[in-house]
Amino acid sequence: MMMEEIKTTIIDRIKLHFSDAVEKEFSYNRLDFSVKKETVPSILFYLKEEMGFKHLSHISCVDWLEEGEFEMIFILWSPEEKIKVFIHTRVDRSNPVMDNIDMIWRQANTYEREMKEMYGIQFTGLEAPEEFLLEDWNGPPPMRRDFDTEAYAAKTYWERPGREDALDVRETVEKRTGEVLPEFAKKYKR
Amino acid sequence: MINDKNSQKIVDIIRNYARKHSLWILAYGTGCGAIELPPTMTSRYDAERLGVRGAATPRQADLLLITGYLTTKSLKRVIRVYEQMQDPKYVIGFGSCTINGGMYWDSYNTIKALDRYLPVDVYINGCMPRPEAVLSGFAKLQELIQDGKANGAKEYKENLKWYRDNQKKVITNWKMPEYNW
Ligand code: SF4
Repeated sequence: MMMEEIKTTIIDRIKLHFSDAVEKEFSYNRLDFSVKKETVPSILFYLKEEMGFKHLSHISCVDWLEEGEFEMIFILWSPEEKIKVFIHTRVDRSNPVMDNIDMIWRQANTYEREMKEMYGIQFTGLEAPEEFLLEDWNGPPPMRRDFDTEAYAAKTYWERPGREDALDVRETVEKRTGEVLPEFAKKYKR
Repeated sequence: MINDKNSQKIVDIIRNYARKHSLWILAYGTGCGAIELPPTMTSRYDAERLGVRGAATPRQADLLLITGYLTTKSLKRVIRVYEQMQDPKYVIGFGSCTINGGMYWDSYNTIKALDRYLPVDVYINGCMPRPEAVLSGFAKLQELIQDGKANGAKEYKENLKWYRDNQKKVITNWKMPEYNW
C-alpha cells in the first residue's frame, strides 16, 4: 500500500473509534492526532494492540505558559508500516494530572519519572522512586518556563568575576571580532 | 627521619622526582572532557611516556581529573572520591566549565568555579582542551611537583572548614562520612 492510503486508513479507523480525535497531516510518514486527556490511555492501547504501533519512541512535554497548559506528546512507531503517529493532549497547568500508561509500555515509566521531576506532572498511580535525575532538589520543577534558571544559578552558585561582558558566546564573538551574525542565529539569542 | 637540612633537601628532590613520573589518573570522567583522554593515552600522544596512566580506584590514584562541568550531584561523588585518595594527590581542572562556568554559566545544576570546592593545582583552559593542551597541563603539574609547589592537598586540609562551608552550601542534603585525617 502507498503511504497515503495507509494514512487514510489510520485516520478513518481512529476517527471511527475516538470521536474527539482531530488529525493533522504532515509530510511523508508522520501523522498527528490531538485528543482529550481522558482518551489517551485507550487510544494508545488501541494503536498498540490493534494497529501495530508496537514501539513507544518518546513521550515529551511542552509548557504553554501563556495558555496555562502543558501539552503532552506521545510518539509511536509502527515497524511494519514504517509510519509514526504523534498523540497530542493538553493538561491543565495549575493541576497537571495525567493517567499513568506504564502498563501499556513498561518503558513509559522512565519518561513519566522524568516529566514528573522536570515539569511537575503527576501521574496517577505511578510507582517509582522519588528522585530521578535531580538530587536533593527543592526548587520548582526546572524545565517549567516560569522557573528563572539564570536567577537561580546566580543565587546558588558563586561566579568568578571577570566575564560579565562575555556571557553569551554569539554576542561575544560578534563584539570582539566584528563578525556579522546571520539572521537565523539572531533569532535564537537570549 | 633525617634531621640534617641539606640531606632532607636531597630526599625531597628524589621524592618529588619519583612522584612526578608516576601520575596515575583516576578513571572518572565528568562533563564532555573524558573523551579527550583516549587520544591522550593512546599511541598518537602517548601520555604514558610521562608516567601518566589510568588507575582503577581512588586509593591507587594520584591525580583526579575534573573533565568538565560538575553538577551538584556529581560534585558530591567527586568530593567523596577526592577524600578517599591518598597523599600525594593532585587535581587538574579541565576546560572553561571548571574555571568560570563555561557555556553552563546559567545552568540550574552545575557549579561555576571548581576551586571553591576542591583545591585545584592546574587548570587547563579550552572548551574542550585538545590532547596537546592536556599534555602541557600534565607537564606543568610535573614542574610544580618538582618544585614542591603542588600543595593542593595540604591547602585542603588546612582550609577544610572553608571548603566544607562552600560544599555544604550547594549540597543541601549532606550525608557524607567525615574522614578524619
Ligand atoms: S568546557 Fe566545554 S567541553 Fe568542557 S565540559 Fe564545559 S562545555 Fe563541555
